[in-house]
This record gives sequence, structure tokens and C-alpha cells, in this order.
Amino acid sequence: MIVTYNWLKEFVDFDTNPDELAALLTMLGLEVESMEKLGDGLDDVVVALVEEKRQHPNADKLSLCRVNNGKEVLDVVCGAQNFIQGDTVALAQIGATLPGDFKIKRSKIRGEESCGMLCSDKELGLAEDSAGIIVLSPGIAPLGTPVFRALGLKDTIFEIGLTPNRSDCLSLVGIARDIAAKLDVKIKYPPVTLTEGPENTNSVIGVTIRDPELCPRYAARYISGCTIAPSPQWLVKRLAALGIRSINNVVDVTNLIMMELGQPLHAFDCDRLSGKRIVVRAAVDGENFTTLDNQNRVLTASDLVICDAERPVALAGVMGGLNSEIENSTTSILLESAFFKPAAIRKTAKRHGLHTESSHRFERGIDIDGVVRALDRAASLIVALAGGVLAKGAIDEYPGKSERTPIMFRPEKANELIGINLDRDVIIDILTRLECQVTQHEDGTTGVLPPSYRIDIEREIDLIEEIARLNGYDKIPATMPVARVVSDRPTRHQEIEKQLRDILVNCGMTEIINFSFTAPDAAGKLLLNDDDPRRSAIKLANPLVDEQSVMKTTLLPGLLETTARNINFRSLDLKLFEMRRVYLPVDGADMPREPLCIVGAVTGSRDGDAWSRPNEQADFYDVKGIVESVLDYLDIGGVTWVAENLDPYYHPGKSCRIFAGREYIGSVGELHPSVQKNFEIEKPVFCFELDFEKLVKLSRTRKTIAAPSRFPDSSRDIAMLVPEGLAAVKITDCIKSVKSKEIEHVQIFDVYRGKGVPDGFKSIAVRIRYRSVERTLSEEEIVALHKEIVTNLVDKLQVTLR
Amino acid sequence: MRDQLEQLKSSAMQAIAAAPSVEALQDIRINLLGRKGELTALMKGLGSLDATERPVVGQLVNSVRDEIESALGSALASAQEQVIAARLQTERIDTSLPGRRAQKGTKHPVSLVIEEICSIFAGLGFSVAEGPEIEHDWYNFEALNFPPEHPARDMQDTFFVENSLLLRTHTSPVQIRTMLKQKPPVRIIAPGTVYRCDSDATHSPMFHQIEGLMVDSTVTFGDLKGILTVFTNQLFGQKTGVRLRPSYFPFTEPSAEVDIACVICGGKGCRVCKNSGWLEILGAGMVDPEVYRHVQYDAENISGFAFGMGIERIAMLKYGISDMRLLFENDVRFLRQF
Repeated sequence: MIVTYNWLKEFVDFDTNPDELAALLTMLGLEVESMEKLGDGLDDVVVALVEEKRQHPNADKLSLCRVNNGKEVLDVVCGAQNFIQGDTVALAQIGATLPGDFKIKRSKIRGEESCGMLCSDKELGLAEDSAGIIVLSPGIAPLGTPVFRALGLKDTIFEIGLTPNRSDCLSLVGIARDIAAKLDVKIKYPPVTLTEGPENTNSVIGVTIRDPELCPRYAARYISGCTIAPSPQWLVKRLAALGIRSINNVVDVTNLIMMELGQPLHAFDCDRLSGKRIVVRAAVDGENFTTLDNQNRVLTASDLVICDAERPVALAGVMGGLNSEIENSTTSILLESAFFKPAAIRKTAKRHGLHTESSHRFERGIDIDGVVRALDRAASLIVALAGGVLAKGAIDEYPGKSERTPIMFRPEKANELIGINLDRDVIIDILTRLECQVTQHEDGTTGVLPPSYRIDIEREIDLIEEIARLNGYDKIPATMPVARVVSDRPTRHQEIEKQLRDILVNCGMTEIINFSFTAPDAAGKLLLNDDDPRRSAIKLANPLVDEQSVMKTTLLPGLLETTARNINFRSLDLKLFEMRRVYLPVDGADMPREPLCIVGAVTGSRDGDAWSRPNEQADFYDVKGIVESVLDYLDIGGVTWVAENLDPYYHPGKSCRIFAGREYIGSVGELHPSVQKNFEIEKPVFCFELDFEKLVKLSRTRKTIAAPSRFPDSSRDIAMLVPEGLAAVKITDCIKSVKSKEIEHVQIFDVYRGKGVPDGFKSIAVRIRYRSVERTLSEEEIVALHKEIVTNLVDKLQVTLR
Repeated sequence: MRDQLEQLKSSAMQAIAAAPSVEALQDIRINLLGRKGELTALMKGLGSLDATERPVVGQLVNSVRDEIESALGSALASAQEQVIAARLQTERIDTSLPGRRAQKGTKHPVSLVIEEICSIFAGLGFSVAEGPEIEHDWYNFEALNFPPEHPARDMQDTFFVENSLLLRTHTSPVQIRTMLKQKPPVRIIAPGTVYRCDSDATHSPMFHQIEGLMVDSTVTFGDLKGILTVFTNQLFGQKTGVRLRPSYFPFTEPSAEVDIACVICGGKGCRVCKNSGWLEILGAGMVDPEVYRHVQYDAENISGFAFGMGIERIAMLKYGISDMRLLFENDVRFLRQF
């Protein structure tokens, strides 16, 4: 909603300046989103007199002027032709800055000095276009007066962001009412002076409401013999300030009154209304109608239409029809002022994609009691501007009239909820200033009837809000609540989510957050089978773009796209993770599942090409190490790494699935080269996926801690040749299968292929540390135990000792 | 024997004084005092002396041994010192080369802000609640007093799924889910992902909010102001000015927009605050009785407040980020700075 400072002043007396007014409005809940001060900074553009005008010696189209600004006479070069010596003009003096940051400087134009510029409307931001400079009426103001002040154009335009509940403020008067209530002054409603002719309105026109549910009130007046003409300048400018284009004197009046009082009006060319009748009815399914914007609309039975005796002439509350619009030849007018049911207008406007100033007001609800006042005010102004005779009396069909009941109100409840302590009288006074009718009953209760335009006030709580608002939110003391102790701590899920983020960050990983939606073919890039459940994603009914049209079933595509994008920006060494929900439809349930997933990717050099460890490329074991850290941190035991039944997006020889006991908890591996290519990544990428729910379920909350042994250890190494296909874990498992409390630690410390190792074999070196918690182990005991282990390895795994 | 001892002592002293290195001194020790050493051999010879002479010579042997040992000890100590001094003279590394360290990882700024806000509210006794992102219309709108066809629904451009499911447009449905599950007192915050079909420099179709809800027997609007003042002061600094101004949300009444004094210009007016000196950071209000009706709370005997804020906006203010899209481009050159 746009309002101007000067215009508001016509309705309410205040002496606050524009900045203070903006603050006041904002603190009333009428947020000033922007302010434009017309003529601000243009005080150097002044009224001046052209004392002499002659031809520029070096340019045919320029003239040299001697211009008097009240203090001195200046030389000014001008290119406009539309003025003569003796005219009063607008002079931009040296130092002025015109709209568009155009600075006026002393200059030489074709050899002649120019100390300023004579301005056009366009140059002052007063018009989109102008044919010449402004020529002011002689003697408009003393020479040297700022032009904006002389023209009465000095004003401030406020753009107010209204909340949807404040439909009463979709008008100048509405906003003025709130200012008046806040400042405790009386509002001056615009005057209505009607001069009516002898003819009775209802002997010329008639109104029938067929659908009183959707149209509870319809008022109309009839004006004959008027002349359609351009509007006077004051009206054009006033509408322009609100961003409304002038059409003609009659249409402009309807728009002006809508902005002034909030009541949308419509003027019909009465001679084009068949039977000079108005019938308000529901449209017929499939009925055709051409609105003012020259669009053909196919109507449905839930659209409300205004008809004449034969056909629709307006889409009620939204837009008039081409068939009855005011034209230059129009002489008689039927003026409509009505109330339509908000929800119905909203549906119609939405269905036809037709959002107008009128529909905007009707769908939020207008003042049903103000219908006739707006009609009369508009009629009197039309007669004043377009002439003609106003027929006697208004037609006012009001089948929806109903008694409103007062709201039971407890002033102490207001104090209690807001946390203030206002006297009852002060509270009642606030309500009275808001034009509420307050009745104190004998039993001590208070009844409050809000004004008809405040359709948002229906309950006691709505009144309480008004008390807080008018009294001022800034007057409410900030207190700390008196509250009962609530004993709670983060859930296991919340704790582990945070811990996981911490551990991954400590592993050097960078967290990313991608959108939850993706392209429908995202699963295809991962080579997922046609029957893979991750291919059945939840679709959005109204996506912004196709690439964001389905909810993710896996985080991997997003992670890989991020990887590719970063590599394109030459960030080659990446460790990324994402911990977000995926969205999985559940058969038979109406709500999908939204489990949290964790994915990570590592690519490039291990230490970012550090000087101390050059050219070490990250590999499978880096990403496995990260997963091991996570599992270790959460104390998840019994983990096995199974290189079978891999997802198709993994390299089949360099990946595995991860189990804890029998539970599948995730996977880790090198990305399949084809998938890597699908995402346009050149170097290998190593990924992991972990199922958050499983991690939470399997993580151990209680640890039992053993005291460390105080006795000496003894380590023995075994180096062995084993076939390439033998998994290292078989060796460590075999060693641990010798159930001895004295085996403290088993570690593979070298894997070697090359010189001295035949093809198809690898050399593995294991270090076993022996130690007892009870005593110092004797050499003989250790030798015996170690021998048993070696024998076991040779017998069971057929390893060759080196 | 005595002469032998004297001779041994003087040659030993000479050898010790002339020894060039730690190793030479250790050799001398072995040669004299070792198992097969000269002095050891002499001491073994003590047994052949007669009983009267034995104690005297024995004493002498001991004193010679002590002298040699002490001379050896101090010579060794000074030789070792020289060795260290020589090492310190020659050993040099380039300390300007970068250290060998684990790569630094970083949390996403959205996660950082969520963690910070949750920990501030944990200190105020609020626990964390969660809810689904694909939500029922009833929880997202209707129970929050947005009736069907209500103009307030226009405030939130909604992504629809099907069967009256939608992507939640705010974290407020968590209020409803929480109140349906438990009786007052309630004190929760609910961080989460929300969606609106809108995309430009200041709007992202996916973003994050934190919702707060407190319901107890005598909670006031002044308490809301108090809690939010404490919160903003902890988040943005002790002296951050806070302003509440009237606004409208269907599920709160009275409702407020909460502004903080501009953290960029300190309230003097700048481009970020559009010269107002204030930055809007959250919406809040007293829970509307209509909401209590939907969760079967008795509005007459309880009261409470709710608030909600956009995480991205706070992250942008905290870190001076001007374009929201940076937060979701996931460029590591951006993310590694956090």
C-alpha cells in the first residue's frame, strides 16, 4: 500500500516529520518498507525568470539566456524551444544533483558559458517523458523558491508492507485512522456533498441480487449527461504518486476513492447496459466473457458475475467487462459499490490469474458499512469533474445485513498476557480511540463492539493485541519467565548427529549442504537397476525447475555434482561429507520415511601436495580409515567388510559393504569409472555411505574400561608369503583364533609386492605384542604361544614363512 | 703394589686428560675398571697380600679407583657437553616450512549457526524437537490457524506433493506435533529444513529455520521479549539493541517482528539495513488460542509464546555474506573459511 505524507495530512492533524511518521507507522505494525522524498535534495532547483533569450552564436538549436534566480542573473545555455523571454522556469543551479545522479556543473557549451540548466519534467523525475522545459505560471512563487515547494510537490511517498489481517489499511483513510488513534486526535473523513437531480434513481436503474450469500450488499447510483474527459492535473498526479495510470475523469475518480476509502468501485456505461439493470448471479459453467484487459474468460459456476438484463458485464469484484466500459462517448453512468464474499473473490481471482487492486481488497474483506459512503463520495466527485446530473437516492440492496454482537472483554486479561499493568480506564480509552464501542455492564463485564471496518477483530485476544499495539510494544518491559523446571537432555539421535559431524570434521572433511530435491534422472547416473527402490522418488507437484523436481532418495548424486563443480574451480583435493535426510516412500503409509544419511567423498592428493609427503594420492584406505574412525568413535563392534553384492556405482574390485554383526550399516569404495564419467570427474573418487539410524542403534553407550597391565611386553614379528587373493583379515583372524589373554595386540605393519616376492603373491608382515595383566611372561611361554600361532597360520592358511 | 697403584693412577689421569672423545673415555673405563681391566686385576691381587697389609693397600686401591672414577665422570660429562654443543652448532632446520598436520575440516555455516543457537537455548532450558519435512497440510497450515483459502497462505509459496502432503513451509508444524505429544510445560526449539517455491538473490527454495515454543501457566509477552533479548545478546553481543514491532502471523497473537540494531553499522543506517538501522531477524508472538484448540490445550489456564527465525539470514549477518546462494553452492573455497 502506497500513501503520501501530504495526503495523510488531509485526514489527520499531525506535526511529526516524515521520518518520525515512518517510525510511528512501523511501530503500529504498518511497516514502512521504503520511503521516497519527492524533491528531496532538489532545493537547488529554483523558480527563475528568463530576462533575456538570444540565439547561441555557434549552434542553431541552442539559445543563450540570462536567468534571474532572485539573487543574481546567470548565463544559461538551453536547447529547448518551448519558452520565450519573460517566462518563469525551473533552474537547476550549479551544485544541484538531479535524479539519476546527474550533477549540475559550470560548463562551456559550444564556447559559451552555462551556469546551470533549465529543467524539464522528465529531468526532475516528474514525468516519464516531456517535450520541453517546465514553464511555470508567472508569479507562482518568489524567484529563488525551490520549484518542488512552489509546485506543492514536496511530499514523501511511503510504501507500506501490510500484513494480510489489516485489510482496513488498504486505504489512505484506514492508515490515517491508525495514526489518529495512536496520536489521540480525531480523524477528518473526506466530505460528501451531494447535489441530486429530480429523477429517482430506481426509476431509471434496477439491481437484483440472485446470490445474497456471495453478494450481501450492492449499492448503485445513476449519473446522466456527464462528459468524459481527461482528469485534472491534481488527480493525475495524485494517482501517479500511487502508481496508477490516469484513464479519464470517471474511471480516475473510482480509483481515487478506492485508494482513499478502500472501497473498490466500478463505473458502467449505463447506455450499454441492456435494460439498465444489474443482476448479480453465479456464472454458468462455460459462459464466455471478455474482461477490460481484452482477455476472453471462460467462467465456471463458482464465479460471481455482474450482469445486465442479458449478459455478464463484470467479473464481480475482479474486473469490469469490455462490453460496458466507460468510453469517450459515454454520457450516463451506473456507479457500483458493493461487498462480495472474500473467499469467492479470492477463488475467482486465483482461477483466472487476475490479481487487481479491486480483487486484492475484496478478498481480504472491505468495510460493509462503508459501501454507501464511498458510493456517495465518488458520485459527488464525478459530478464535480464530469458534470451531469446525479439521480435522487442510492439503490442499496443489503440482503446480508446482520447484527454484530459485542466481544466479552476482560481488561485484566490483557494486562496478564502482555505483562503490563495499565489502568482499566487507559485500556478502555485505547479501545475507544480505535472507534470500538465499549459497554460496561452492571455485572462488571465489558462488551466491546469493534468498528465494522476492523473485520480482523473477532475475539478477546484480538482486542488484547490492539491494546499492546496502540500502547506500544516498546513500553512492554522485558522479563524472564517464571517457569517450571523441564528435565530433558538431547536424544541419542541428536547427540550422535552432533558427534558424527564433529568426528568427520576432525577427519579433515568439509561439510556440504545440497538441496533436498534433484533431477528425476539422478538415479540413472548412478547406474541403479530399474527395480532399485531408490528410483521411486517422491515428486513435487509444482517444482520450480525440472532439476529440482523430485525428493532425494540418495545423497550421492548431489555429493558427486559438488565434487565435480569444485574440481572445475581447480579445488582438486577434496574431502567432502553431507549429513542430510533422504525421502523414501513407504508402501501403505501416507507419510514417507525421512532417514538421515551420511555420505562422504575423497579425491585428489592425500595431504594437498604437502612438501613433506609429496604426490601421495588418496585411495580406498583413506576413506575406509574415515569410516573406521566413525565406527571406533561410536564404539560399534563386530564390523566386517564384505566385498560382495556391491551397489552398481562402485568399482567391483575396490569396494565393500560394511556390516556390524548381521546389520548392514553402509558401504565404502572407489566410484565405478562409468559413474565417475557420468558426473564428469576425471580422477578416481572414493566414497562412503552410512546409515545413521543403524549407527545410533548399534553404538554402545556404556564402555567397560580395563586397567592397563603393569608388566613388560614382548613383541614378535612374522613375515609370510601369501597368495594375492588372501584377505589380510584372514591372517589377523587366524592369529586371534588362538584364544589367549596374552595376545595384547596384532598389527599388520607391512604389505609388500616386488623383488623377492613371486607373481601372484604378496608379503605380509605382522607384529604380535604379548603381555599379561598378571605377571611377567617367561621367554618359554612366549615362544610356545608364538609357535602355536605360526603353526596355525601355516596349517590353516598355507602361508609360507619368509 | 703401592708403586704399581701410583703408576696406574698417574697414567690413567694422563690418559683421561688426553682422551679426545666420549668413546675414548669409555674405552679407558673398560680398560681400567672393566671385568678384565688393569685396576680390577690389581684388586684381584689383594688376596695374595698378608693380613696386616691387606686393609691398607685395599684402602689405597679404593681411593685410586674413586679418583679415577670421579675424573672419568667429570671428563665424560664435559665431553658429552661438547658433543651436544657441537650438535647444536651444526643442526639447523627451516622452521618456516609448513608443519605436518591433519587437514582442517569445517562444518557448514548453517550447521554452525544451528549448533550455536541450540546451545544458547539449551542454557535457557529449551530442548530440541524435530518433525518431518514432508508434512500434512493440517500440521503445516490448518492447526496453525491458516484455514483453507486464507489469504495468509499467500505469505508462504508452497511446494505440494500429493494427498494433501507438502514440503513444510516453516518449522512451526513441530509446535503442533510437540503439543499433541505432551502436556505443558513445554519448552522446545526445533531447527529444520523448510521449503518455499521462490528463488532469487535473497530467497532460496530450500532454507533453514529454528522454531521456539514455550507454554506454561503464566508466560507473558514481556517474557517473550526477555528471552529474545537474552538470546540476541548472546548471539550478536551483549549490547545489541532489540526492537519488537507489531506484525501478523495466523498462529500467534499478539504477533511481533523482532529487529536487532544493525550489526553492520551499529544502527546508524547502511545498505544492509536499508538505512533503517534495524535488521529483521525473527517473527514471534503469543500462541493464538486457536492453536491451543487444535491441540486440546485449555487456553484459559495456560499461555505461551512461539518464535521462528531464518538460519541463513543469521549466518549471513554473522559472517557478512551478501548472497544467500553462496551457502548452497558448496564451493570449498567458501566453506573452508568457517
